[in-house]
Amino acid sequence: MAAPTLKVSRGWSGLALGVRIAVLRLPGLTQVRWSRYGPEYQDPQIDKEYYRKPLAQLTEEETYERELRKTQVIKAAPATKTSSVFEDPVISKFTNMMMKGGNKILARSLMTQTLEAVKRKQFEKYHAASAEEQATIERNPYTIFHQALKNCEPVIGLVPILKGGHFYQVPVPLAERRRRFLAMKWMITECREKKPRRMLMPEKLSQELLEAFCNRGPVIKRKHDMHKMAEANRALAHYRWW
Amino acid sequence: IMLKGMTRLVSRVHKAKHGEQHVGQHYNISIQELKTVFPHGLPPRFVMQVKTFNEACLMVRKPALELLHYLKNTNFAHPAVRYVLYGEKGTGKTLSLCHIIHFCAKQDWLILHIPDAHLWVKNCRDLLQSTYNKQRFDQPLEASIWLKNFKTANERFLSQIKVQDKYVWNKRESTEKGSPLAEVVEQGIMRVRNATDAVGIVLKELKRQSSLGVFRLLVAVDGVNALWGRTTLKREDKSPITPEELALIYNLRKMVKNDWQGGAIVLTVSQTGSLFKPRKAYLPQELLGKEGFDTLDPFIPILVSNYNPKEFEGCIQYYLENNWLQHEKAHTEEGKKELLFLSNRNPGLLERLCAYL
Repeated sequence: MAAPTLKVSRGWSGLALGVRIAVLRLPGLTQVRWSRYGPEYQDPQIDKEYYRKPLAQLTEEETYERELRKTQVIKAAPATKTSSVFEDPVISKFTNMMMKGGNKILARSLMTQTLEAVKRKQFEKYHAASAEEQATIERNPYTIFHQALKNCEPVIGLVPILKGGHFYQVPVPLAERRRRFLAMKWMITECREKKPRRMLMPEKLSQELLEAFCNRGPVIKRKHDMHKMAEANRALAHYRWW
Repeated sequence: IMLKGMTRLVSRVHKAKHGEQHVGQHYNISIQELKTVFPHGLPPRFVMQVKTFNEACLMVRKPALELLHYLKNTNFAHPAVRYVLYGEKGTGKTLSLCHIIHFCAKQDWLILHIPDAHLWVKNCRDLLQSTYNKQRFDQPLEASIWLKNFKTANERFLSQIKVQDKYVWNKRESTEKGSPLAEVVEQGIMRVRNATDAVGIVLKELKRQSSLGVFRLLVAVDGVNALWGRTTLKREDKSPITPEELALIYNLRKMVKNDWQGGAIVLTVSQTGSLFKPRKAYLPQELLGKEGFDTLDPFIPILVSNYNPKEFEGCIQYYLENNWLQHEKAHTEEGKKELLFLSNRNPGLLERLCAYL
């Protein structure tokens, strides 16, 4: 949002519901991107195994916890979180980031086609390789996906800090979620922009994922560029105060 | 031809001896045979699967077994019987048809296989006015592609069958009476303008000569409801063309009539490629329309349904043997129950689900 709009606060005027840093403290304006749930709402327990445990096997704390949950109010589970065995939070997040205009069906089909393409390519390689190499070739598209994104995560990032009227790019350690977000964002922008015409997204994405899995490719290069910039701006590290 | 059981045992069973106890098991077709018997006609996802696994395995299922039983007991003196495979989307009609075709090819029948009749009534780039009959239209591209594939599938028959009429193509070329059918096919492939007429001649000759008993003819058409529906093709003045006005369709309709002996006609009705038919329609009456149903009546309908539990298990075992299900959770009972629930034992859906798991 360009400017935070005025909304009626829920009676906890000014108190942050989560721990959100860098709140705009302009008078008369309250930030709006909070969740509508108050602090007493608990997160829903989606795990099937939790409910399948027979009552006899529970420890004292677990029985206490169950009794407690019976009295608490619980948030509604989002539609994307299922109790399916095949669900993967990383894949869901990536699909959401690929989505344009709310078209989740298209994003999800692109994701499944990408995983299928990765799998088929790896099977080709497997059948063409000799017996020793076959042991090293990874065919599970999910492990390839996770490993590729892990390889793309930068360790250190740059943050613009205002000092003396100028913005300096200061190297800063990144939080886990910021790193994951940057890896996924770079992967998606790379595939959208540097794609040859008439090549479809699943094919390009599968290519990029396989290259990132082997630590080659443009996304890994971008991560290394980020590291080099951070190394170059080492002297500005003192501008960080946290 | 190997039969893969539910366990890792591979037993060699001749296809002619497929029986009730083999339902749910897979049998292997070698890649060489695949290239000769099926130059066209396999569903595209199956072709991808063959390429990935380096082997072609079809599952033995009840509708195919039923049809094989009927075919083994056909009386070739009687007019050709029509069998119609129908079912919901993704239940395996096309692959059952391919099973039948492979069986007949092994038994040395002449296979007349039209992979998808819907491709002939839509998206045609060049429609020529037919040279033979001014009222009808020619489709040179589709006809020549079909002739090429027909040639690969039935090489050995083309030199044996002799044409019984003289056909004049143009001022300089003609085919004499008594020359082999291979010449007609060659002419159709060389001169693309006469390809549709070549197809018509091939169909007419085969129909005439199969009654003599020299060879047995199997007419296999996928998506036969295209012959009696509507087309999306238009003339230059934007008026729609009915299927009768297409020469290919007109000749094919004559083929599907049961006024000849010495073979069988196996048909499939499918909604997937069809034009102007609702998505949920799968019964022959709905898809063929009144005209088609009356022309095809009487026929033997064979329902192709979703997998039964044994077949489902067999399919999952096959994927596990080929290491296709890579997800760790897919090997567990939980995973299998989930796949069962998500796919409702529909073969097509199950294949798409397992592709990305």
